[in-house]
Amino acid sequence: MNPALQSLIARARDAYEGWLANGRPKVNVCIDTSSLARGADETLRIIRETAAREGIDADIGITGSWGFCWLEPTVTVRTAAGTRTILYGNVTPDRAEEFVRRVLIAGEEFPELAIAVVDGVSSEGIVPLAEHPFMRGQVRRLMANCGVIDPENIDHYLARGGYEGFARALELTPEEIIKEVLDSGLGGRGGGGFPTGRKWDFLRTATAEPKYLVCNADEGDPGAWVNRVLMESDPQLIIEGMLIAAKATGAREGYVYIRYEYPLAFQRMKTAVAQAYERGLLGTNICGSGLDFDLIVFRGAGSYVCGEETGLMSSIDGYRGMPRIKPPFPAQAGLWNKPTNVNNVESYANAPLILRHGAAWWSSVSDAKDKGTKMFTLSGAIKQMGCIEIPFGYTVRQLLEQYGGGMRDGSVLKGFQPGGPLSGILPASEIDLPVALDPYRERGMFLGSGGIIFFDQHTSVVDLCTYFVGFAEDESCGRCTTCHGGTQRAVEILRRMAAGGGRESDLDKLEELTRTLVWSNCLHGQFALTTVKLALRYFRDEFETVIREKRDPAGVLAGLIRYEIANPSDPGLPDAAEICPTNAIVETHQGWTVVDELCIRCGACREVAPNALKVTDRFAEPVPQPAAAG
Amino acid sequence: MAAAEPSLEELRQLVAEFRPNRGHLLPALHKVQDTYGYIPRRAIEVIARQLNTTPALVFGAMSFYSEFRQHPPAQTEIAWCSGPTCRILGGDRIREALEYTLGLPLGGHSDDGRYALHLGQCNGTCSEAPQVWVNGKVVGKLTVAEAIRLARRIREGA
Repeated sequence: MNPALQSLIARARDAYEGWLANGRPKVNVCIDTSSLARGADETLRIIRETAAREGIDADIGITGSWGFCWLEPTVTVRTAAGTRTILYGNVTPDRAEEFVRRVLIAGEEFPELAIAVVDGVSSEGIVPLAEHPFMRGQVRRLMANCGVIDPENIDHYLARGGYEGFARALELTPEEIIKEVLDSGLGGRGGGGFPTGRKWDFLRTATAEPKYLVCNADEGDPGAWVNRVLMESDPQLIIEGMLIAAKATGAREGYVYIRYEYPLAFQRMKTAVAQAYERGLLGTNICGSGLDFDLIVFRGAGSYVCGEETGLMSSIDGYRGMPRIKPPFPAQAGLWNKPTNVNNVESYANAPLILRHGAAWWSSVSDAKDKGTKMFTLSGAIKQMGCIEIPFGYTVRQLLEQYGGGMRDGSVLKGFQPGGPLSGILPASEIDLPVALDPYRERGMFLGSGGIIFFDQHTSVVDLCTYFVGFAEDESCGRCTTCHGGTQRAVEILRRMAAGGGRESDLDKLEELTRTLVWSNCLHGQFALTTVKLALRYFRDEFETVIREKRDPAGVLAGLIRYEIANPSDPGLPDAAEICPTNAIVETHQGWTVVDELCIRCGACREVAPNALKVTDRFAEPVPQPAAAG
Repeated sequence: MAAAEPSLEELRQLVAEFRPNRGHLLPALHKVQDTYGYIPRRAIEVIARQLNTTPALVFGAMSFYSEFRQHPPAQTEIAWCSGPTCRILGGDRIREALEYTLGLPLGGHSDDGRYALHLGQCNGTCSEAPQVWVNGKVVGKLTVAEAIRLARRIREGA
């Protein structure tokens, strides 16, 4: 191994193991965006203050995410002797002081909040982590450090096998590195699935200089936060992956482009890059190997199309983040018109694993056609919103039932979206599809970048289409009329339908638009109407009911429902009238009534007085349709 | 909040570190916004000169991105999460109620600059859905009624 790197790793290992063996109990609070949303910063502050006040000699620190996002704030507690580590969940600020009293002062365990035993013998009622239903069947390779290490301390990463993949890459030629990555079968994790090794080879063989690497961390798909988990929990993994790519391709400068909405990920990546520079893992003549590589962490400013690689590069260049036509491909003309390789966070993050353990080990995780593991986040009308890492091939049903904990009480699965607003939707009957690239391609959609969203019977497909197409319209860069005009037209039709003005001809018009938009310049426009295309195939009945009967089976479309008084003597009616934001509930000399023209169908009244009001179809009788609608 | 616009000299010093053709436009705009809460008009000219480009190109790029502000932020900034889980769990009805209660569309601000309503993008804190962010802090698992009460308190200045 490269001697400089070897001594770096040895020193980090000494520091890390010395810290583990220092005889103090260790309390680590997960600090990531999901846990902060549930008060983890307060939990950490209270734990620190209580421990200090009580004179407890303990190391109190932070980790990234374990993936148990619905149980945040999570806290791991390791005993002074290091014989036992327990993962706790829901350690909310109001419980933090009691938590310290029981776990640190009394030295007991807190079974009510325990999730699992991370290390050591299991005890009654607390399962070993690997046997927890949320963890069973997960294969945590990319996430091996997530929740375990302090993401702001490079020693933790180095001590646990970090930079060993890079060490091996230093001993190989660029061709050998690329062969290893090609042999692994790693496909681009942003959704495309294009072989990462081939992309690297395009850049390696490009003739112009300088060459650039870009890490696409613009994870803009609503409902996907896998890249965020990695950046916030194990940022060095991404840097190591980019270093391996730099050695393989000859690039000397790289950018990590992080979306504006991820301020903590941005800070963590900046800290990680600064620490890598301090240790000589970035910069010139890295570890005496002659390799030069500079890495810049770049913050986006709120634009979905900047997740499209050419849009992203326009954004770094300092222009409007508008995608352009390919070819030329980035490997020919990318940043500043120089050869550039763009990969997703998760693609780069796999490279250290492939180099460290070999392509054969990496791809042997399952016999699925798509190789390696993939991270997913699960959300929607489910019980457990979390982040998992699994081999390809598991069914979506397993993801929902085992990892997602099933649908929420009162919810029945109606359908799901495999990965992002452009990926399309499928009905509940397709729930046994495997998580793999092909089945979705065959259906004219794609698996996407990792955010799977489950929706229930209270979700209107017309509304869902309006939302996703509206999103695509809002985020269209505006360059080609096909995209910005096409999405606009589709949204107009969908909104009119939802308002009760659907026409028989609308479905043909929508279908024509889905055929037209594939001629857009970039992927954004080409896939903007995937949701509509799939919805017309799988949920056509619902559109027809909305158009012909002016009735919404989901009971939510504002133009097709109305609120009425259900019980004129309900004692909750004054409260309902009080909460109504438009004063639509009024008491006249004839009693209570809902003024339909004022009602915005927000439903606040039924929250405060559930039995006083009811939702009914706005059009009691089906509206007669002209025989030949135009 | 409504401080006078910073001087040209102050702005020049603030962006002095940035260089042309190095991908410095967005970092320069971020630095200005992090300092003042928005991009003052004259900062556009200062940045253009610093990066050896034109104000039109700077303004054109800036206006493409939804997170660069051209006006000082309101005292209370409410961002409504537009993410799919929030929507599936009733977020759209919360948006309607907020808009009516505050008398603002998404993207609008009150005349006195006390409060403003924005569209927020999903950041994966979906276990708190449906949610809004009040000055960046999550107010989650909202019912429509709670959102209305929250908006009324903000409107009344409580």
